[in-house]
Amino acid sequence: MTREWSGEELAAAAERLVPGSVARITSNACYLKPETLVQTFTALRDDAETDFKYLANLCGSDYWDRFEVVYHIHSFDKNQIGLFKCETAERDEPVLPSVVPVWHGAWIQENETYDMFGIRFEGHPNLVRMLLWDGFPGWPLRKDWLSMPGGLQPGLNEFTGVARRQEPPVRRYEE
Amino acid sequence: MTSPIKSEPFVINIGPQHPSTHGVFRMKVTVDGEQVVDAEMVIGYLHRSMEKLAEERTYTQNIPFTDRTDYLSSMSNNLGYCLAVEKLAGIDVPERGQAIRVIMAELQRIASHFMALGAFTNDTGAWQTPVMWCLREREKVLDLFEMTSGARLTCNYMRIGGVAFDIPKDFEPATRKLIKTLPGFIDELEGLLSGNEIFLARTKNVAVIPPDLAVNASLAGPMLRGSGIAWDLRKADPYCGYEKYDFAIPIGYQGDSYDRFIVRVEELRQSVKIIEQALDGLPGGPHSTQVPLALRPPKGEAYARVEGPRGELGYYVVSDEGPSPYRFHIRPPSLINLSVLKEMTVGGSVADAIVALGSVDIVVGEIDR
Repeated sequence: MTREWSGEELAAAAERLVPGSVARITSNACYLKPETLVQTFTALRDDAETDFKYLANLCGSDYWDRFEVVYHIHSFDKNQIGLFKCETAERDEPVLPSVVPVWHGAWIQENETYDMFGIRFEGHPNLVRMLLWDGFPGWPLRKDWLSMPGGLQPGLNEFTGVARRQEPPVRRYEE
Repeated sequence: MTSPIKSEPFVINIGPQHPSTHGVFRMKVTVDGEQVVDAEMVIGYLHRSMEKLAEERTYTQNIPFTDRTDYLSSMSNNLGYCLAVEKLAGIDVPERGQAIRVIMAELQRIASHFMALGAFTNDTGAWQTPVMWCLREREKVLDLFEMTSGARLTCNYMRIGGVAFDIPKDFEPATRKLIKTLPGFIDELEGLLSGNEIFLARTKNVAVIPPDLAVNASLAGPMLRGSGIAWDLRKADPYCGYEKYDFAIPIGYQGDSYDRFIVRVEELRQSVKIIEQALDGLPGGPHSTQVPLALRPPKGEAYARVEGPRGELGYYVVSDEGPSPYRFHIRPPSLINLSVLKEMTVGGSVADAIVALGSVDIVVGEIDR
């Protein structure tokens, strides 16, 4: 079975390799600081103990007050997986560093995240609208996209049998 | 390359309506003479924004969406999503449900690989005959799906907590009959193609991916194993009781198109082996646990992955205790396998670019979602 590292283990490994790189931790995830993100991931990839050589999944998430980018990273030899995150509170022009210098395969997933959330990845070789066309209005997977007149928000509030837009209050994700 | 004839770069659009692109996929190729100097993909023709739609539907209502992402392997997609929600909500699946899931996932792998192999041989110039043979065998698998779930392509058979209904009583004899004939057909197909000089000339040393690049570019499935990395989630992180079955992980050594072809052929044999063992040890009991229709998983997030026919098929689901997922993300293996498109095609000829794309085995419904 693949061993899933807890947030504390991940934070300890990241702090050991790059001191001061961890922003905060939760039970299963480790939030890294954007300034040292590329440096930390390079160290985690090349270190013999962590050996996180394979970026399995990269995607964005919108929590109203912040954007998160989620990185699920594997090690083949050690058979372990770690969940790292990086967040930004900026909504108008969110910018995070690109991890393409660390993993080549990240370019396609970062491109998709940019397309859906409008998060600009600093250092990405060719950031374009990939699935949608140039000039598409808005960023579809943001929670405030398609908010209807009168403040109706996407998402279900109750089991109504039929999926339909509901009145506010807006569902907010709180920890 | 020096040539007395002067040439200048020229852009060709392969697709979106072209048989070699296996769907509405456009490859923008810059050629200099016969040589490809740049390749770029243009996608999004089939984009339906399923991740957004899923945020407005309940957990159970989202299962049919997963059929329609990768329409050639709907069972694997159902399975990945159900595993993610089960992980989130802490639901256990009874043993019979797990065995049925394994049988269905492996039958799906056989159906999907037949389609991949047939289309690939079509791209290399073995025009129509192998693909028709493969489709004939694939039909037999789809008949089994129709018998079980009522649908051939978009099966919508898995449920959170198990499968939708038990297998019919004709299913087991029909499956045993099929898997008895399949190894002979696989040998025949491999014998026809792997010794064929034209096929070898078209695929050997074409679109080579070195192992370092394969890992660094997040490739998965036969693309990764063709480059010599023995990584299979069924072995490394067993789900649905895969640890009980005896099978091997086929790998290639060169990382070229031919190796990816051979890995797929060998995986067919391993899938037949798994189905045989699963049918022999099919336990009794319920096929599903009772899960409330109004499912509200506890707050949290889960990432579950299965080894789909195209590689690591992951589902990332975030719950805020609401009736619908807060965030629903699919890790699409065929999209991420395309991240080496440029590395595979640049430097080769246009005809090799077609073979390279065919060896990736893309499904455009999954790329665009």
